[in-house]
Amino acid sequence: MDTQNENKEQTTISAPKQVKKAAEDQSYGAIVKRQFKKNRPAVWSLRFIILIVVIGLFADFLAYDKPLMCKYEGKTYFPLMNEYLVALGGSMPQELNNIVDWKSTNFDYAIWAPIPYGQSETDFANANYVSPTAKQNVKSKRWWHWLGTDEIGRDVMSGMIHGTRIAMMVGVVSMSIASIIGIFMGAMAGYFGDEKLKASFSSIILFFLALPLAYFYGFQLRSYAIAEAFADSLFGALAQILLGLAIFIAILVLANLVSKLIDKIFKLKASINVPIDIIVSRSIEILISVPRLLLIMSIVAIAKPSIMLVMVIIGATSWTGIARFTRGELLRVRNLEYIEAAQSLGYSEWRTIFRHAIPNSLAPVLIAIAFGVAGAILTESFLSFLGIGVEAEVATWGKLLSLARKNFSAWWLALAPGFAIFITVTIYNLMGEGLTDALDPRLKQ
Amino acid sequence: MFKYILTRILYFIPTLLIITLLTFLLSQAAPGDPVETRLQGGTQGAQGGGMSEKQAGEKAYIDMSKKLGLDLPAFYFSLTSMAQPKDLHKVYRKKERENLQRLIAEYGNWEEINAFYLSIKELETSLFEVPRDSNTFAGLQTMKEGINSLLNNYEDIKMSADLALMEEAVNRVSKVKVDSVTYTEVAYFSSVKPIFEQLKTNYAAIKANATPWKTKVPKFNWIGTGNQYHVWLFGNKPWFGSSEDPSLKGGFIRGDFGESYLDGRPVSSIIGDALPITMGLNLISVFIAYAFSVWLGVFLSKRKDTKLDRSVSIVLFILYSLPGFWVATIFIVYLTTNEYGLDWFPTYGLFSNDLSETASKWEVFKDLGAHIILPIIAMTYGSFTYITRQMRGSMLTVLKQDYIRTAVAKGLPDQVVTWKHAFRNSLIPIITMFASLFPVMISGSVVIEVIFSIPGMGRVGYEAVLARNYPVLFTVLIFSAVLTMVGILVADILYSVADPRISFTKKK
Repeated sequence: MDTQNENKEQTTISAPKQVKKAAEDQSYGAIVKRQFKKNRPAVWSLRFIILIVVIGLFADFLAYDKPLMCKYEGKTYFPLMNEYLVALGGSMPQELNNIVDWKSTNFDYAIWAPIPYGQSETDFANANYVSPTAKQNVKSKRWWHWLGTDEIGRDVMSGMIHGTRIAMMVGVVSMSIASIIGIFMGAMAGYFGDEKLKASFSSIILFFLALPLAYFYGFQLRSYAIAEAFADSLFGALAQILLGLAIFIAILVLANLVSKLIDKIFKLKASINVPIDIIVSRSIEILISVPRLLLIMSIVAIAKPSIMLVMVIIGATSWTGIARFTRGELLRVRNLEYIEAAQSLGYSEWRTIFRHAIPNSLAPVLIAIAFGVAGAILTESFLSFLGIGVEAEVATWGKLLSLARKNFSAWWLALAPGFAIFITVTIYNLMGEGLTDALDPRLKQ
Repeated sequence: MFKYILTRILYFIPTLLIITLLTFLLSQAAPGDPVETRLQGGTQGAQGGGMSEKQAGEKAYIDMSKKLGLDLPAFYFSLTSMAQPKDLHKVYRKKERENLQRLIAEYGNWEEINAFYLSIKELETSLFEVPRDSNTFAGLQTMKEGINSLLNNYEDIKMSADLALMEEAVNRVSKVKVDSVTYTEVAYFSSVKPIFEQLKTNYAAIKANATPWKTKVPKFNWIGTGNQYHVWLFGNKPWFGSSEDPSLKGGFIRGDFGESYLDGRPVSSIIGDALPITMGLNLISVFIAYAFSVWLGVFLSKRKDTKLDRSVSIVLFILYSLPGFWVATIFIVYLTTNEYGLDWFPTYGLFSNDLSETASKWEVFKDLGAHIILPIIAMTYGSFTYITRQMRGSMLTVLKQDYIRTAVAKGLPDQVVTWKHAFRNSLIPIITMFASLFPVMISGSVVIEVIFSIPGMGRVGYEAVLARNYPVLFTVLIFSAVLTMVGILVADILYSVADPRISFTKKK
């Protein structure tokens, strides 16, 4: 359909423009875009993904237990904004703090979110699995529970909306981590292969000497600080871990610099082959051999429940597909003329890899990422379905679905979250399909 | 070929070693004390009792940690700070050990901390010399709580407060009636007092002689083979000849998988029960998936780009995206109870509870069949898409080949061309898929077994994770990994059997 419209447009626009457009059409990006646009389901899934992102970003504005804006005792307040400020270290206005029951407070006026219930707010009047079709104990249709409630009266619709945010975050966080690891590992393996990465004797020895030191100063020495940060807050924990990582890397880099110095003084040559391709391929095989679900479960089970940790671990264990794609692409790219040109211009290996080789091989990795997001969302929802790794106050689709097992008559609990998971997984898979078709060079005319 | 298989099997070893290391690391990082879990608070009862009970409790703890192999240092080597002694593992109780580690990290002087720790222990024993009656009850209680708190705290504020409370209890003088008129003052805790004073000086010494710089210097300790990992993996029994000592272990590679932390049941028997169930279900599922999808793939390839082809593809795609645990939940909610009038299948497990002992084989079979229909469907439908697509694709490639055209031109019947000429040659990619399907199926069986309460490997693993039952978890992970790797290997071998052009030995 779209292509037909495009053709019509092309015939109506003026001639010089048409020439320009035809010239643009030859670029790889334009070809891919056109191929992708031909695939209607893929285009629709892209739109759907945007919708999910919007719902995820604005979840608090869509479902919130307090008014978004209200006039109370002559003054206007924005409770949601205040809550954000509290998260940033501000404080709630005293008048608002005194309100215990928001739903029965008499405001001068109040604007409520479309779903006027929070994700963990309990509506006692409608507790014990009230069906969306049954009679609900609410003031008016405005307060209707559109997807019913659960055992303690939490609104399922609100949970679904906030669950969208979690699903979105799972995709973003875990796939970012997986992409960083996977692209790096795959690029190393593909670019250097087994023969091209040389290291000097001194650098290898210093590396293995520095490794325990880096671990000791980066993590072991600060293990109590890290553990306390974990118990305290998520951002603190993240900061502590990043700090540890920074120390770790700094020590290794230092060791590398020292070894370079030694090499220069004694005029040693990098003569030892590092079979990086074998190392990466073997670690991929190892990771594939372990049942991933059980591995993730056992890591998550020893820590405090935290959805962020689940995302990080899913990301850290699902980079294999991305690494394989990148490796394959780099194997192709490294023999192209422009890489040779970069090498003969005397660019460093790292510059060649990161500035020239990787950017040109990222497109196929998108396929692995699209399928990866689907897989990550599935894994996360299954874990929270089992009640592993999710905090009590956080609503996720998997957790809502697990409630259906407690009460078989609550059909809405079995349908709504499952459907959301299904749709999301489907559109990411469709995206993957669409990208596969669009990026496949065989389809290029 | 033989050489190739041998190399591949040798490749298993590093993979398995890394898995064992990984799970071992997890078990070390896990909170909780498995010894206490196993004793189920048996030592707690001894707290109120006398000297002998206390000693019995202590002995039971030590025996159990020896039995579970937890009395040894963790690994071949350790990387600690200079302040930490090499033989800290001799403090058997995990909680006390961890608390001492915190103290070391705080003050960095092990000698003083050790003296302090020993004097706490001495005080604990000496308390048994104090007579127990209504006069000393409150004091003893304070002392016990204080000791407990000192063993489990490392912050100076808390410990100083405990010491002050204990001092008050030690110095308390009770008035005791001698006869109806006269009272005499008795200090019941006088015998304990010197020990308590020693404890106090020891604590002061920790703070006075702190050497925090020592905690900033790393130290590498070589421990040798007498460690938990080695004993668990290789055992400490002599390899040849027999040994009378029952506390010696065979080790994982000699088939001694240890025993469950929860009930002491041998892991081999738990796995022995679970493995056939998972294998059986997966085999049935793989068989159905292949039988149906291969046929469907061939069928669709001959109707390429028809309406039927397209709609079946869409249905298959939807099936592929349907989350297994949702489908399983839907099955359980809608098809296994009378809630929606569709009580067609049993809900949980493999057999009905009310299945009588005398039931005939046919009845048992029927019961089992009814129980596994839903799980099998939920396990299988996901792989339909994958295999069908692959089969259809490879059939289409083969059907374009010249020799198929020749066969058709020669006047061979359609059936013969399809099944004899095209089908055989398009099977190769399907065989390799077996390899990628296998890990998916093993992971999938976790989902299905947990939801349908089928006591297979997935469920055993899941329960072991929740209960931090590491001997079981180790074994499940390693068995699954071996199964996966064997699956991939078998697929590779089949690959070369199906297509003689493929060979794994290098031609020169």
